[in-house]
Amino acid sequence: MRHVGAGLLSMLVWAHISHPAMAVDYLRDVKPILRQHCYNCHGPLRQKAGLRLDHVTFMRRGGDSGAAIGATSGESLLVRAVMLSDDVERMPRDAKPLSDEQIATLKSWIDAGAPAPEEKVPDDPRRHWSFQKPVRPPLPPGSVAAGAVQNAAWSAHPIDRFLAAGHETHGLLPTGAASKNVLLRRVYVDLIGLPPTPAELQEFLADPSEGAYERVVDKLLASPQYGERWGRHWMDVWRYSDWDGYGAEVRESKPHIWRWRDWIIESLNADKPYDQMVREMLAADELAPLDADAARAGGFLARNWYRFNRNVWMEATVEHTSKAFLGITLNCARCHDHMYDPISQTDYYQFRAVFEPYDVRADRVPGQSDTRQDSLVRVYDAEAGKPTFLFIRGNEAKPDKEHPLAPAVPRALGGDALGIEPVALPPTAYYPGLQRFVQQEVLAQAQAELDRSEPAMAKVNTALADVRKKLADFTAAKSAPSAAKATAATSKDAPAPANVAKDAADAPPAPNPSAPKTEAPETTEAALGAVVAEAESGAALAEQEMLTASANVVAVRAKIAADDSAFAAPPAAHAKELAREASRAQRVFDVHQAKHNVMRLENELAKARAATDDAAKKKVAEIEPKLTEARKSREAAQALLGQAGETYTRFGQVYPTTSTGRRAALAHWIASKNNPLTARVAINHIWLRHFGSPLVPTVFDFGLNGKPPTHPALLDWLAVELMDQGWKMKPVHRLIVTSSAYRMQSASDSETNRARDPDNLFLWRMNPRRMEAEVVRDSTLRVADALDVTMFGPDLDQNQGLTVPRRSIYFRSSKEKKVTFLELFDSPNVTDCYRRGETVAPQQALAMVNSSLTLAEARRLAGLLAKELPSRLENVPSTPESHSAFIAAAFQRVLCRPPSREEAATCGDFLETQARRFADPQALAAFTSGGENPVKPSADPLQRARENLVHVLLNHNDFLTVR
Amino acid sequence: MKSKPCCHPPAARTGRRAFLADLGMGFTGLALGEMLLRDGICRAGETGPWSPPDGSPHSRPKAKNVIWIFLVGGMSHLESFDPKPALNEFAGKEIGETPHRDVLTASFVNENLRIVVPDDANGHIRHKLFPMQVAFQKRGSSGLEISDWWPHLGSCADDLAIVRSLWTTDNNHGAQLQFHTGRHVLEGQFPTIGSWVHYGLGSLNENLPRFVVLGTPIADCCGGIGAHGANYLGPEHNGVQLGVDPKNPLPFAAPGTDVFREEQLGELQLLGRLNQLTALEYPQDPTIRARIKSYELAYHMQTAVPDVVDCEAETATTRTLYGLDKKETETFGRQCLVARRLVEKGVRFVQIFHGSNGGAGAWDAHGGLKANHGKMCGEVDQPIAALVKDLKQRGMLDETMLVIGTEFGRTPGTQGSDGRDHHPFAFSVVMAGGGLQGGIAHGATDALGFHAIENRHYVTDIHATVLHQLGIDPKRLEVPGRKRLAIDFGQPIREIIA
Repeated sequence: MRHVGAGLLSMLVWAHISHPAMAVDYLRDVKPILRQHCYNCHGPLRQKAGLRLDHVTFMRRGGDSGAAIGATSGESLLVRAVMLSDDVERMPRDAKPLSDEQIATLKSWIDAGAPAPEEKVPDDPRRHWSFQKPVRPPLPPGSVAAGAVQNAAWSAHPIDRFLAAGHETHGLLPTGAASKNVLLRRVYVDLIGLPPTPAELQEFLADPSEGAYERVVDKLLASPQYGERWGRHWMDVWRYSDWDGYGAEVRESKPHIWRWRDWIIESLNADKPYDQMVREMLAADELAPLDADAARAGGFLARNWYRFNRNVWMEATVEHTSKAFLGITLNCARCHDHMYDPISQTDYYQFRAVFEPYDVRADRVPGQSDTRQDSLVRVYDAEAGKPTFLFIRGNEAKPDKEHPLAPAVPRALGGDALGIEPVALPPTAYYPGLQRFVQQEVLAQAQAELDRSEPAMAKVNTALADVRKKLADFTAAKSAPSAAKATAATSKDAPAPANVAKDAADAPPAPNPSAPKTEAPETTEAALGAVVAEAESGAALAEQEMLTASANVVAVRAKIAADDSAFAAPPAAHAKELAREASRAQRVFDVHQAKHNVMRLENELAKARAATDDAAKKKVAEIEPKLTEARKSREAAQALLGQAGETYTRFGQVYPTTSTGRRAALAHWIASKNNPLTARVAINHIWLRHFGSPLVPTVFDFGLNGKPPTHPALLDWLAVELMDQGWKMKPVHRLIVTSSAYRMQSASDSETNRARDPDNLFLWRMNPRRMEAEVVRDSTLRVADALDVTMFGPDLDQNQGLTVPRRSIYFRSSKEKKVTFLELFDSPNVTDCYRRGETVAPQQALAMVNSSLTLAEARRLAGLLAKELPSRLENVPSTPESHSAFIAAAFQRVLCRPPSREEAATCGDFLETQARRFADPQALAAFTSGGENPVKPSADPLQRARENLVHVLLNHNDFLTVR
Repeated sequence: MKSKPCCHPPAARTGRRAFLADLGMGFTGLALGEMLLRDGICRAGETGPWSPPDGSPHSRPKAKNVIWIFLVGGMSHLESFDPKPALNEFAGKEIGETPHRDVLTASFVNENLRIVVPDDANGHIRHKLFPMQVAFQKRGSSGLEISDWWPHLGSCADDLAIVRSLWTTDNNHGAQLQFHTGRHVLEGQFPTIGSWVHYGLGSLNENLPRFVVLGTPIADCCGGIGAHGANYLGPEHNGVQLGVDPKNPLPFAAPGTDVFREEQLGELQLLGRLNQLTALEYPQDPTIRARIKSYELAYHMQTAVPDVVDCEAETATTRTLYGLDKKETETFGRQCLVARRLVEKGVRFVQIFHGSNGGAGAWDAHGGLKANHGKMCGEVDQPIAALVKDLKQRGMLDETMLVIGTEFGRTPGTQGSDGRDHHPFAFSVVMAGGGLQGGIAHGATDALGFHAIENRHYVTDIHATVLHQLGIDPKRLEVPGRKRLAIDFGQPIREIIA
């Protein structure tokens, strides 16, 4: 009865609003109100006045002032607090009061007896495992009870000790060691992304000594290909993308961002510490503002550049900075507080505020004055004062402009005050035109123009003298008796006006508009006069060009001197004087340039007027306003000439002299031993790529909604190890690949293990893996000795993936620009690729069977192998002995192992039957379409059959698989 | 992220010969074993240790193929297949002011719903009722009511089985994934209906993939390739995406003119043999099996795929029927016609996406519903009707099941001034053929079209109906270690089965 009464009451309360018949439900109606308006201060994270409102039990228990809810709404502090008329005292504090409807909901619920279903009391999300700083756990005991650790090796290596403990707990027995063939191929592909050569394989197989494997590991880690292999892994995580757009329009990322890729490869090869790499990617411009090499790391942020919407750009920056380095899905807090993690919507926007001022610019690089051709793409703080607002419900149309947010990191992740200090930048950082190489190149260019203009002018003057002489000769001859003869001679010898101009200089000729078009004998003198006049204006233009170039050299010199003294610390005593001098030189140059411009246009106009066709008329109409404009500019320049000043055109843009220091502060916070997430997330990525499965399955979500680690102690041990190694990754790679776990075989027939751990979560065997897209392509080229190992440089055209034999990492990769061959093998999604896909699809089979790449490399390799056959077999190619020699060599090259007897026999039969097929090509039907192939099949039937065999091995499951 | 394919139990004990036979159909024709089993009924495996399905149905199948059309973004049931005069009567009124106010307190409101984003701008109950934006007509001799935006499909009314009582639990577009896997997006990714069919049923044509995807897949926001993925069943059961241009249905379709067909076949036979030998070495590795099959499929796809997607081979009448002569219907019409050609050639499951736009989907009419749905229906009505008519005239409709689905319905109330919001509480799915009754409407929503109230069906009931007609018992497809729930299996909608 009480319930019915409460229901009636609630109907009465609700009579004035639109849901009269609706009974108040705690989960549906009440909790959302409390969550949105109260939890921030009275929830699991914070309990102001000792009060929590996220569970009915807590509400009844209350806080410092007593129970929040009583028997009726009238006796409930909660209701009283939200209804206070005092704007200061009323809850929620500093926010809009609850609506009448919301208050009515609370009241009816309390009056109904505050019914709520059984709910677990939420834990404090801040206690989540990954938010606690990792401490190095003790190693599990090495030798234990029977049936546990199998051999001494498993108790010698720290990683094995942890994994063995997992095996014991789950009743698993690890598989035995992989064969040397399998192990070598595994570690080669893993560390350098390429299989071993036959010589490397032979050397390893023939070396039984202690430490043979470790020496291989050290060699591979020291190889430059290590940086390319692991660079590609980190490029996945850091979302490397070349520029993307529509036609020539850049819409996302930036051209020339490949320098960031090169920085990644170089840094890894140099074993630059991970924390330093993170700091450089986030804030090299603040931490090492003069280091152009480090500035390349800014590609991590520059890559987020987006043409159409700054918010999309900022969202990507926030989401992926937090996912990549912290394994936190901050993006889930953009529209509302995070559903699982202690991250509020305000936290999200405060994190964004760190990045709010940054922008992307393209600085000059040595040897290229045009930044469209090449540039150093880097980030800088463009607008220090740009405010950050929370978008209400994530809607960019609804910024909460009353509350600009300061930069910060989520408190619950241990983010104390970031300690942001503005960074005063050195002059060459904010004024790249001050760099020595820029000054030198600008000066050299000015000098080169001058050097060109002087001989050009001399040449025009010679030509002018020549025609003048001819005119004089003609005039003299005309007054002499044999006028007719002279006329003939002149008209033959005198250069045509066009030739004079062409010889004289690049300046266009200026024919006298009044000059008649025909060369009637009686007007030849006039024609010659026109030629002279044209040559004169050409000479004048050339002279002006020289004067301009000369003035430019003077001005450039003066500006360099002025720049150097003005930006010196402290500025040189005579800086003002030099600035005035530069200003004056600049103005002189401006006048010359303006004059040159006017003359050039005048010449063009004269030429256009001389012609009568429509195009010329149009040109006249085009030139006239320009000329008017140019004359005005000339007058303006001349007017400025006499005036004193200290300004001059700089060598490029001058950017803000200070950077906010926000990103540097964030970088220090992330790349810190005190950050509980950074090292763990990095180790998890490394582990994933060595073993094919991660320790924390949700690689970008270490939060409450992520999955817990399979081996928490191992994860922490490795994370601490990484930090204790000074964040150097090569020692960690070495540690991992020298474990017994890494050296296990992937095949196992243990039914027990399979039943107990079908997904191999506890690593009782190695995971076989399909090669990544790049490894498939690079290895195909490598086994045929065709791989071009040239490192670094501009991104290669994505359409040349089948024809240019460079490593795959160097080909353009962006949303719409990908090498198709790579895409079919799950090449990275540039917007988000924290873990690669590993599919098996018929389209991959088509690519391996039909692409010109695999066909060409098979043909090439078969040729190499035939040449390497022992000479005694050369003359008797089609014998069982020669077949087996070829087959063994092909298996070793492509699969890094010898063929089994059955495989050898099968392949031998194949060579025979296939060769017989080619003996009668007339009986065969060729395909009618497909790609052109640069390497043609052999005309010799047996050799062609060998090519086929190699092609088959490239398609073999165990070429694509790393066992 | 993709999970690893499941590890099949070892085949080692089944013997080498059986294992090899199981692995390969070969490159030249169909394997005998598979042909013998094709039309038989599986009896093995009912007792004894688990083994993967052998490709034969569990009961006499009534249908052989499925064409599964998915309208991305959420089609309004109220303007298509479920007319609600009360919306016009109470247009502009708050639901609470109408006699139908109890829809707001119905238990379904809480029980149905699992909200992903609590305070999202979309996915709310909208209270102010929005009148139907289009008129309905009774169609065919059955008198099924279908809106005027579907005149062509309306003319097929007597062949349609309309289910008006679907419900789902996600009020956001994760429901797209849910419609295909049966699981809410918060629970993760699972095998899709197409991959279950692929997993459970043998091929009818080894020259073509068993599970084909046409149109642009769902965007990553809402399930991405997960909506035609096989998840733990393994990548070999994923849907294969094809283009409908015969010149370029897929990359690397041919090796070039300096390769002989016999040469390639010889190579592939050797490859198959070598891979089989390797499979014996690694009987636990499911990837080898997938790779062997992928090569066989690739070989046959080489010629079969360009042929099958070539609509030029069709008569002008057929092409016109599907609307290939009109700009608005050309793209989707071509996909529907290719779908018919695919099932004709034996493809088991063709999934066509309409309305993928890189985001929530083109049917997501939060505003301007009239213009939006008018246009969307204009793109799909004629081609879908053409499929029904064409399959029927070819005698294929009986064994081909057509499903036209969407992730959820749209709110009876208005969003903004002229749109409808997401509505997981009720929506309609249209089916035809495949041994179903025609001219039938099954299940009902309340007067406002708010809740499914009569014969309620969760999305997996559609899956169950499809599998039932194909002769598959989904409970017998369960994979060890991957426990499925009752809701995953659903119940066949027996009332619409002929």
